[in-house]
Amino acid sequence: MKAIVWLIVIVVVIWAGWALLDKAPEAEAGPIMIGFIGPLTGDAAAYGEPERDVVALAVEEINAAGGINGRQISVIYEDGKCDGTASASAAQKLVNVDKVQAIIGGFCSSESLAAVPIAAAGKVFLFSPGSSSPDLTGINQFFARNYPSDASQGRVMADVLYAKGMRNVAFIQESKDYPLGIFKAFQARFAELGGEVVKEEFPTDSTDFRTSLTKLKAGKPDALFVDAQTPAAADRILQQVQELGWKTQILLNDAASDPALITKYAKLLEGAMFAEFGYDATNSKFAALATAYKAKYATDLPWQSYSQTYYDSVYILAEGIKAVGYEGEKLATWVRTVKDWPGASGNVSIGSDGDVVGGHSARVIMDGKATPLGQ
Amino acid sequence: MEIFVQLLLNGLIAGSLYSLLAIGFNLFYGTVKFFDLAFGTIALVGSYATLSFLKNLDLPLLISVMGGILVGAVLNVIIYKLVYVPIRARKGSNMVLLVTSLGVFTILQSLLAILFSSQFQTLRSAGYVPHIFHIYGASVTSVQVLMIALAVLVPIVMHFILKRTKFGRAVRAIGDNEEVASIVGINTSKVIGGVFFISAALSGLAGIMNGLDRGIEPYMGLALLLKGIIAAIVGGIGYLWGGVLGGFVLGLIENFGTWYLPSEWKDAIAFVVLIIFLIFRPRGILSK
Repeated sequence: MKAIVWLIVIVVVIWAGWALLDKAPEAEAGPIMIGFIGPLTGDAAAYGEPERDVVALAVEEINAAGGINGRQISVIYEDGKCDGTASASAAQKLVNVDKVQAIIGGFCSSESLAAVPIAAAGKVFLFSPGSSSPDLTGINQFFARNYPSDASQGRVMADVLYAKGMRNVAFIQESKDYPLGIFKAFQARFAELGGEVVKEEFPTDSTDFRTSLTKLKAGKPDALFVDAQTPAAADRILQQVQELGWKTQILLNDAASDPALITKYAKLLEGAMFAEFGYDATNSKFAALATAYKAKYATDLPWQSYSQTYYDSVYILAEGIKAVGYEGEKLATWVRTVKDWPGASGNVSIGSDGDVVGGHSARVIMDGKATPLGQ
Repeated sequence: MEIFVQLLLNGLIAGSLYSLLAIGFNLFYGTVKFFDLAFGTIALVGSYATLSFLKNLDLPLLISVMGGILVGAVLNVIIYKLVYVPIRARKGSNMVLLVTSLGVFTILQSLLAILFSSQFQTLRSAGYVPHIFHIYGASVTSVQVLMIALAVLVPIVMHFILKRTKFGRAVRAIGDNEEVASIVGINTSKVIGGVFFISAALSGLAGIMNGLDRGIEPYMGLALLLKGIIAAIVGGIGYLWGGVLGGFVLGLIENFGTWYLPSEWKDAIAFVVLIIFLIFRPRGILSK
């Protein structure tokens, strides 16, 4: 009896070992599995969900045109929740369980910063079309992005404000990597020019800003910079600024430049300024994207600055796979050779530090609409 | 001067929310003596019910608010009958009831997130800007004035109910000693059901006012519960006016505290106050 049990055990072990080892070589003819990390729940889902749709649209287009070398692309979407911990687990799953070689994401800088070490350890290429924290510049050879660093946003805003004669700026900043990055970039440049910055930080799900705003207001600053991670948070802050009856020059970051938000607070935001990585509506690929998005999802293309980079990221990745094959390390090296690649976001060049070449430009809000700031 | 008045108002506004929560918490904790972790989320159930009435059924504000409070209160009574009564009948310890309430809390929170999405939503109708009053240079909105007024009126009404009505006497009797109360002929099950109803109504009111002033999202339940508990402990646990006092004390300390400290320490201040009270005066400021 015991002998039979041992026989069964040996058979099972050999069979399991065979099955596991047999899986090691990648199925060369199956679909190419790419990972995606972005905020699909929470306040930041306002960005994450449309960008997931843009990626799905691009993948559909590429697959319809024959895929990559005959293989179809398939995306595994994971929820990063705009949070380091959730993004780290998502990255773990994609790298170790799904065994992807490339991940498009994160959107929030917190997501990317948390996923970079995991992707690097698994030799997986992490390509972000949305993370803008200056801390991501040159962080790792496996990371690259086609969205510019906020070092540019902070600098542009500091230059614009100083030129307008402001010397004292108050920040209300969410305690997350992206808003912190903008604050640090702004403060560095503004202090260099001779200005002063004060800030109040708040944790993400805060709803009561009255005392923080009262404190900042008491310092009589020349301007208030609303530096939040999401439009929802900026909405809560602006509502309380309005209720406190505080009339001052308001500045926003590009995450808060949501047209719905600008319309809602049109009176309060008259003359407010922000900097964004703009988009060119006359770019033919961009126009094609906008039309295709509207046709497929029955709504106008939102967050144009990000949608264009998300769209491009899929195509850039596809071109990389065609050029060097689907392998993380090779893709990460290849992407740094991309020069003047024509995309929906313009001519894309990625530098040796993984950052895209290009930057932000200033906008002013007049009559409820954002227009370029003539300088 | 203007800043001091603004901070005072900020403290009163926050304090009124905490007071309403603490009153509801003290009512049922004083009676059944266990922590109901779902307390904060029940407040959200009422708020989301109001949101549905307002946005999906287009009912007027007052009716939606009352309907929302009713929904939250009835749900709490149903949970009491289905979940807590059987456990208490089997003489389940307070630890068991606490863990059960954790389960209820998790289920309710997830249901709310599934039904209403985890986005932050406001109960205000689009475009509604509340009237702003200016006092000595400080600003306060009509919604906030109403919150402070309720935080004063509700305890007065509750005091009357507890001291002058038969129901109130039964509640106090059960709070003193449940076994003796049932021996002398009080229908403890029914009275405790009533307690669950009223405490959920109070927390629902608090949640709705907060939703009108700022907004709601499904994961706020725990934060509301914790603030309510801190306010109740600081002011005097199980005691009506203790909850009121604790709520306002907490609100004022938080807001004056963030004047001197960076504002990300706001929640930390609340917990430091709690720890100080637990060490030096666990009974709270007032006691029965």
